Amino acid sequence: MERMKRGALGILCLALAVGVILPGGCAGSDTGGDGGAATGEPYVIGAVLSLTGAQAGLGGPEKNAIDMEVARINEAGGINGRPLEVIIEDDASDVDQAVARTTKLIEQDNVIAIIGSTGTGQSMAMRDVISEAGVPQVALGSGSVITAEFDPLVFQTPWTADLIVPLALQYLADEGLTKVGLITEDTGFGKDGQALVNAMAAEYGLEVVSDEVFKPADTDMTGQLTVIKSKGADVVLMWSSVAASSIVPKNMAQLNLGIPLVCSHGVAKQEFIDGAGEAGEGVLAFAGKVLAPETYGAGTPSYDAATGFVERYTAAYGVAPDHFAGHAYDGLYLVVEALKRLDEGFTPADLRDEIEATSGFPGIGGVFTFSATDHNGMTADDIVMYRIEGGSWVLAE
Amino acid sequence: MSAPGKRNILAAVAIAICAVAIVALPFVVADRYILRILTVVGINVIMVAGLSLLFGYAGQISLGQAAFYGLGAYTSGYLAKAGVPWLVALVGGVGVAALGGLLIALPSLRLKGHYLAMATLGFGEIMLFFFTETESITGGSNGLRGIPPASIGPLEFATPVAKYFLVWAVVAIVLLLAANVVRHRPGRALRAIHGSEMGAQACGIDTVRVKIQVFVISAGLGGLAGVLYGHYVGFVSPSTFTLHYSLILVTMVALGGMGSLGGAVAGTVLLTLLPFIDAIIPGLPRTTVAVLQDWTNDIYGLVLILVMLFMPRGLAGWARSLVARLAERGSARVPGGERA
Amino acid sequence: METSELLQLVIAGLKNGSIYALLALGFTIVYAATNVINFAQGEFYMLGGMFAVFAFTRFGLPLVLAVPVAVLVVAGIGVLFERLAIRPRKDAEPMALIIITVGGSLVFASLARHAFGSDALPLPEFTPGPSIPFAGAAIERQALWIWGIVLVTVAGLTFLYGKTRLGRAMRACMQNREAARLMGIDTARVVMISFGLAAALGALAGVAVTPLTSTRFDIGAGIAVKGFAAAILGGLGSPLAAVAGGLLLGLIEQAVIPFSSALKDVVALAVLLAVLFLRPQGLFRRSRREKV
Repeated sequence: MERMKRGALGILCLALAVGVILPGGCAGSDTGGDGGAATGEPYVIGAVLSLTGAQAGLGGPEKNAIDMEVARINEAGGINGRPLEVIIEDDASDVDQAVARTTKLIEQDNVIAIIGSTGTGQSMAMRDVISEAGVPQVALGSGSVITAEFDPLVFQTPWTADLIVPLALQYLADEGLTKVGLITEDTGFGKDGQALVNAMAAEYGLEVVSDEVFKPADTDMTGQLTVIKSKGADVVLMWSSVAASSIVPKNMAQLNLGIPLVCSHGVAKQEFIDGAGEAGEGVLAFAGKVLAPETYGAGTPSYDAATGFVERYTAAYGVAPDHFAGHAYDGLYLVVEALKRLDEGFTPADLRDEIEATSGFPGIGGVFTFSATDHNGMTADDIVMYRIEGGSWVLAE
Repeated sequence: MSAPGKRNILAAVAIAICAVAIVALPFVVADRYILRILTVVGINVIMVAGLSLLFGYAGQISLGQAAFYGLGAYTSGYLAKAGVPWLVALVGGVGVAALGGLLIALPSLRLKGHYLAMATLGFGEIMLFFFTETESITGGSNGLRGIPPASIGPLEFATPVAKYFLVWAVVAIVLLLAANVVRHRPGRALRAIHGSEMGAQACGIDTVRVKIQVFVISAGLGGLAGVLYGHYVGFVSPSTFTLHYSLILVTMVALGGMGSLGGAVAGTVLLTLLPFIDAIIPGLPRTTVAVLQDWTNDIYGLVLILVMLFMPRGLAGWARSLVARLAERGSARVPGGERA
Repeated sequence: METSELLQLVIAGLKNGSIYALLALGFTIVYAATNVINFAQGEFYMLGGMFAVFAFTRFGLPLVLAVPVAVLVVAGIGVLFERLAIRPRKDAEPMALIIITVGGSLVFASLARHAFGSDALPLPEFTPGPSIPFAGAAIERQALWIWGIVLVTVAGLTFLYGKTRLGRAMRACMQNREAARLMGIDTARVVMISFGLAAALGALAGVAVTPLTSTRFDIGAGIAVKGFAAAILGGLGSPLAAVAGGLLLGLIEQAVIPFSSALKDVVALAVLLAVLFLRPQGLFRRSRREKV
């Protein structure tokens, strides 16, 4: 009896919370997603980013980039004379929260497009809500699955394994490094690369002699590297983006492995160089041209976009932007540029069509040209190889 | 009427209000965000009901409850995608989770102390590994997509409102059954275990057997919540079934008050809603919401510590003493009482 | 595989195992004094690295000062945590205290993100330089530091338990807290010191590893599971058993890698469950199955 009554009181609290507060809650919200309301009203875009939790290190720079650029756009008069508002929601690196936030942005804020989420899992989970509402999504997760499992509403700005694996394998084949010691992180990002490398290696005349994984929480990879060494690998190919990736070059140096380390775009950031220290010198990685904008040729739109963004970001936040910030910039501008081309009174479907019509947009990750079948929009031309020299990424060759 | 009797009426009234509020809500609120949040609350309530039984009534703790959640979600998701009717998939999901619970409970509950806590922690991590690695079944890190909504024969729970009602109907059934377990003989045996295991055994209670039963029930409830979750979201991926989620569930039970089902429900509602505060209080400035979201884990942790320090009986104990005081004051004002 | 490669795996196992051992010691010391599994132990490890980086880069302290400062600060945090969050409920059942430490771990990790940001932060090696060749294998210099720390810690703890009054008090508490109290031992002080010591050991492990791995606000939980597994293997009893448990766990992991590095963690966890079920007193103690 005691328990029952205590239970009842607990439930009373629930009833109060639900019964009293909620009716007020629904007053402020209405349904429907009208894109072009009254003139002078802001365009409202939603962004779901991982500001806390495991992916906080990626979500933070993404938010910085969006905040900075939205202010800049509005200072320059907005879009077609209307201000831009981006409502940023934190999904805490959590799939369920990403879905809930997306629902909130669509239902309560009537956003016309969604940027995000930071992670591939969240980006995929949001898809059902996105389809139901019919608003376009520009995902910032890098998993190939986002555009490989094609959805007409979903676009993607980061470089994917689909884009980069062939380049990496081609390089290994050209260099005659045919025995590949593969090491990947045990996450969605790593598995994406692992699966593709294993599937495509033979096409390039390569053999994966050892296929090792490590956990983001691991403190040491000498075991995996010793196995790679024992299989007689010519090269270590790493697919990883977590902080632990910087342990690999250190352990290779310590073991005197004496073979090159070639990496995915996941390591193309200062954090990796700082973590690897001297052992990082000479490490190779594939990434977009933003790390060396001069490859675009000075004065080209891509050069101006990249250098301008890096300058503004560095001035505003005191650190150079990493490529995650760049992917968020691209996500924002793909929507903004499409909005500029649209007349008042458009529908979310019109906006989607207009984003798909993007052609030759000079972004940070590369030059984006979407089509009805390609929603990642970049080509091999956008990717170059870098080497760590003197503690920074420089163009290789 | 006696004081306990009065309190019973109060309890009945509270439950009735609550039930009416839950049933009436979708007719008042059309906002899918709010419906979604409240559906998630319902799913968490089912999780926590199981944990609360284990925790409050058997004095045991599980740090791997997310594993049972995952077992339920993946099993039924996989079965449903293979074309199995939802009810069968549901039974499958609950069954596999309960079986997993049995496998852990049998060896660890023979031992005294916190072996169950330790074993569930290890079990949770191992299951997370399988959710990630057995890609042909679970879809690996990319997750299992396209899980059909729940359906019973021709009746499909596809709309947000239908999903909401389905989840809360199950919540009602689960809470009724759990309250029964608590009130009747098994519950008394459970409390005896929590009080003094030796005493309970002296009274002829097979404490190990009862503890194992309770653990299997709580694992099954975890599986049930997982089934509902999978068919609700339509997408399941390993990042949902982490130690962090298991710890948050423990926080919910602790906040509510160990040994009180109703308290656990209240704790679940409050903590689930915390990061979604903007759904409940619409006028809140964006910056306030952002700060609250930024500090959610700190708040969870602090709540856990402060509740254990200053309200060891949780919300339930606090509410009970509040009502006791109110009742005292009430009877002081109206000496003798006016009601029969 | 060649012998030198096998030796390399053993070296890696002993290095990782030493890290687990230091964490296992922290679990064991707190468990001995309170019967509580301290879930915040991994956060002490994280905080140790964080404060060392902070002292080194922000305050420009030399490493030789930054390391002890970090360890002392974290030991202070451990003591403070005990005073503020454990002692007020010291007579509660262990379950309540375990939950408090779970809360502590959430708060510590999250506060660290607010204070130090969400990027991985590096620290230079104590004595930089190329690795040391050993019978065809290589030993990195930082590994020597880690082994040294473990040796000194074990020696120190053995001395503490064997030769000092405080150590005898701690052992008495381990045997039977109630009896110890009746004998006039200040059990509250023992518990407080145990938390401080455990925090210091966790921090020491974190500081020693950060030059190899960098540190980040969210690494505590992952490493705590390893340390916890090592402590269970050791049986939550003597310091030596905890160290043996840690080393064993490290070696098991490396033994799995040649077969499948993906299975490394899950095999270690399976061993943990097997030990829990079959030898709950740990691998190195004679049976002391609890009687009712």
